[in-house]
Amino acid sequence: MAGLRLHERKTLMALQGLGGKASVEDIAEKSGLAHAAVMRATLTLSTRNLVRVHERKWNVVTLNEEGGSYAQHGLPERRLLRALLGLGGEADVDEAAREAGLDAGLMPIALGWLKRKNWGVIKGEKCTLNVNTEPPLGDDEKLLAKIFEGRSIIVDDLSRELKEALNILKKRKLVDLEEKTYRELELTEEGWKTVKKGLEILEEVTQLTPELIISGRWKSVKLTRFDVAAPGPAVYPGKVHPLQQIIKRAREIFLEMGFTEIRGPLVETAFWNFDALFQPQDHPAREMMDTFYLANPQAGRLPSKRFVEAVAKTHEDGWVTGSKGWRYKWNPEEAKRLVLRTHTTAETIKYLAAHKKPPIKVFSVDRVYRNEQVTYKHLAEFHQIEGIVVDKRVTLRDLMGTLKTFYTKFGLEKIEFWPSYFPYTEPSAQAVAYHPRLKRWIELCGMGIFRPEVLAPVRVKCPVLAWGGGLERLAMIELGLDDIRLLYANNLGWLRRTPLCQ
Amino acid sequence: MPVITLKVGRFSRFVGKPVTVSDLTKWLPWIGFDLEEVGEDYVKAEYNPNRIDFCSYAGVARALKGFLELETGMPKYHAEEPRITLNIDKAVATVRPYMLAAVVRDIKLDEDAVVELMDMQEDLHWGVGRDRKKASIGIHNLDAVEPPFTYTTVEPTSVKFVPLGKTEEMTPKEILEKHEKGVAYRHLVDLAPVYPLLIDRCGRVLSMPPIINGELTRVDTKTRNLFLDVTGPNLEAVEKSLKVLATALADMGGKIEKVNVHYPDRTLFSPVLEPEKMRLRLNYANKMLGLKLSEVESIKCLQKCRLDAEVVEKGVLEVSIPPYRIDIMHEIDLVEEVAVGYGYYRLEPTMPATLTVGEKHPASKLADAVRQIMTGLGFLEVMNFTLTNERTHYELMRLKPKNPVRLANPVSAEYTIMREMLLPGLLKNLAENRHESYPQKLFEVSDVAKINRRRETMCERRLHLASVTSHSTANYTEIKSVCEALLVNMGLANWQVEATRHPNFLEGRTAAIRLGKRKIGILGEVHPQVLNNFEIENPTAAFEIDLEWLLTKNSRGGNLS
Repeated sequence: MAGLRLHERKTLMALQGLGGKASVEDIAEKSGLAHAAVMRATLTLSTRNLVRVHERKWNVVTLNEEGGSYAQHGLPERRLLRALLGLGGEADVDEAAREAGLDAGLMPIALGWLKRKNWGVIKGEKCTLNVNTEPPLGDDEKLLAKIFEGRSIIVDDLSRELKEALNILKKRKLVDLEEKTYRELELTEEGWKTVKKGLEILEEVTQLTPELIISGRWKSVKLTRFDVAAPGPAVYPGKVHPLQQIIKRAREIFLEMGFTEIRGPLVETAFWNFDALFQPQDHPAREMMDTFYLANPQAGRLPSKRFVEAVAKTHEDGWVTGSKGWRYKWNPEEAKRLVLRTHTTAETIKYLAAHKKPPIKVFSVDRVYRNEQVTYKHLAEFHQIEGIVVDKRVTLRDLMGTLKTFYTKFGLEKIEFWPSYFPYTEPSAQAVAYHPRLKRWIELCGMGIFRPEVLAPVRVKCPVLAWGGGLERLAMIELGLDDIRLLYANNLGWLRRTPLCQ
Repeated sequence: MPVITLKVGRFSRFVGKPVTVSDLTKWLPWIGFDLEEVGEDYVKAEYNPNRIDFCSYAGVARALKGFLELETGMPKYHAEEPRITLNIDKAVATVRPYMLAAVVRDIKLDEDAVVELMDMQEDLHWGVGRDRKKASIGIHNLDAVEPPFTYTTVEPTSVKFVPLGKTEEMTPKEILEKHEKGVAYRHLVDLAPVYPLLIDRCGRVLSMPPIINGELTRVDTKTRNLFLDVTGPNLEAVEKSLKVLATALADMGGKIEKVNVHYPDRTLFSPVLEPEKMRLRLNYANKMLGLKLSEVESIKCLQKCRLDAEVVEKGVLEVSIPPYRIDIMHEIDLVEEVAVGYGYYRLEPTMPATLTVGEKHPASKLADAVRQIMTGLGFLEVMNFTLTNERTHYELMRLKPKNPVRLANPVSAEYTIMREMLLPGLLKNLAENRHESYPQKLFEVSDVAKINRRRETMCERRLHLASVTSHSTANYTEIKSVCEALLVNMGLANWQVEATRHPNFLEGRTAAIRLGKRKIGILGEVHPQVLNNFEIENPTAAFEIDLEWLLTKNSRGGNLS
């Protein structure tokens, strides 16, 4: 029959040989298969309706060590009886024991049961038989022999007499009882048809080998049919981190839109991180509770004196910009302090200080830091998406268009631009997207046109459209996460399971 | 960012018509608010710190009325001529030199208004005062004291008064030592042997700026006339705080009256509620916004933002700015007002015509190539923080502490320094994933930071690659094969692997990776003591390479980037 594997065929044939109905144990013995192999084959055969499985739970009795010994050598009382018969029906206890080969441990048992079975009496040191000839085997002895022969016996199969005998053996603590599941297979009508058609046992091969291929012997063997749906061991691919994939996507979108990538240091002077961006030295964002300052090294160097002076003047009174400025005394020492950059805009302004000629379109997707307690919502270290467009005629609407394109490419659909505020941009806005799962607007990025107070010291003459936003927030939307920390937990289970394509 | 909770019932009274929660959620974002919480009868909204005038119901109502065109143009404020004098003692020059004041008469305050006054005060202390450093406010029941008032200084124990919210008299010294506000703000006055004090004609204490008011002048629902004082070391911040507060109280129904402030060398009248003037060139606004607004249209936009404007010459407007708009410092700020008045939602996005050709940074190109090879070799990328701590970075790695970039203000003991290598992070990843199936093969391509005095920032950022393989039979041979496959596929020539010693690795199973004469990396079986330290149970082999050398010109072994 097609589709039967070697073990299944062997099982069927053994069952046929055993008359169509047999226990798993018997089939195993007849077929030479392991018990487990027969069981596995049975599973398939019964699903295919070739065999029926009868399953019963039995109390099974087996002999313990003592019981086994008695079964081989006879019960102690029987051995004593025989010895006494040989000694003429009467003898000293010690002599009888020697003759019967019973040690001091067994002798009391033998004497006790001799008396109970009424085979003899003991008077003082003498032992006298009540019988002249050997009495026939009792039920207890028959049962003992039967269990010994069959190794185990099902209690329910015993006759009434033997069941009583079992009670005696139980009392004498010669047997163990346990519940066993007993499976018997029976060929179904379908099964009989199958075996009657005849089953051929071919050599079956699991693994195709170079030898089989080269020799051509593969033609004469049967290649095992596999259960193709059976679960195999899990393997895990080498993969790029899910967050890195999103960084890569952001970078690709920028490149598609004609932006060039820039990369700056992680440690910055407060000058580039704040002062050059017209953030006054007493601005709350510059406080220790928001920004990481360094203890080692503590201070860096400022750029050219001319440039630093322009920045200082702009802070103090607006310099040539027409602005009121922040009206305080600017302190160069404060500007030298080293910080972990709080935004990649530090790199953007540095780039502008060195590249003034439009058109410029640069971006970065890079690490920034905030002095935050790490929670499900906040990280102390994360990535920022940042870009600028510098050209003679670019406008706030162009900035909106650029961002709309960027985030639409990211798969966000409903995007709006709301007024906002940043010390270094004016007009300012924030891009928000409607999150269909959370059913609310979420902030994507801050944006705006660099203020004249920022541009005058770097001597850039045309508008600079700028924006910066968190990457991890996008990643959370994309990956459906509620806890931002998972992105950096490096939980192998999560990394291995998270699909490359969302 | 500061937050205001607007209860619609009360807010409607300020707007002058019923306002619903859905009106607020619809329109507040378009005048610069972020909605934080929307309740059944209230909206909790965050506003930007430059618009500190949004700290009051009156301030938000003004803006919304303009935006919805219920009332446009600049609100006019008038301050009556002064009837009260405030004397400034020259002694305050050494502690907190400036005080300005205002009187508010005939105001009716309900319980909500009393609470709001305190909230406004706190927001101004934060937003303009920089936590009372630059300016701090006192609001007093004028009728409890008698003018003229004097702003002076006292010895720490020479007076006693009952501070607000207490029942017992305390000296200034006791307040700084025991009162919660005294403890919190003593650093602002503890710089001189005397402390600032505001007293009335009879020497009764109104307040001890910037710490606490006296209980005597406590404001409650029965108060009808107010005396406002603002002190600070910066006159401009003092002036701004007073303007925002006085205009809000005017909108709450009070009559503002000036105060005659006598300094030793001059006399000021405060508050000054006259509008400021600033010019706006229309073509500048249109160029920035990408619009073609006419004079009339832009004036309308400005009026919706509660400014007034008139044409002074063709294409130039003179804009009048109300006193509470302390944020406007440049023409560009007026450009934004035009945009807000126009409605950001009406600004149709356009694409800039700018044509440029983009390019990836060489570091990204290199990192991506490395990622491709490592994933091809079956390794899984992890991403760790660049911040770490000395225990993980050195102690567990059998290293003596080096000279890492160190934070001055770490937020936790877990993150105190910047990593100099990636390997400790990968070992930590292995330790935390012991329950996952093996083999575990990980890599990271990312930044480390090192001290470099030649740089402007005294530090440098370097791109590294590190990789680990961990399973019951992981060994040197395996990781060396991986490392070689990487170097070959990066197109590098002229590299060698030679025996070396390193505390992270087992002696005799450690090698240096050289590119030409330069040592660019290390490779080996991780030392069992290190594995014990991290509680990693499987043999682990690893390598780490400083890829930054490949980015530096002339040190490249191949032509990868």
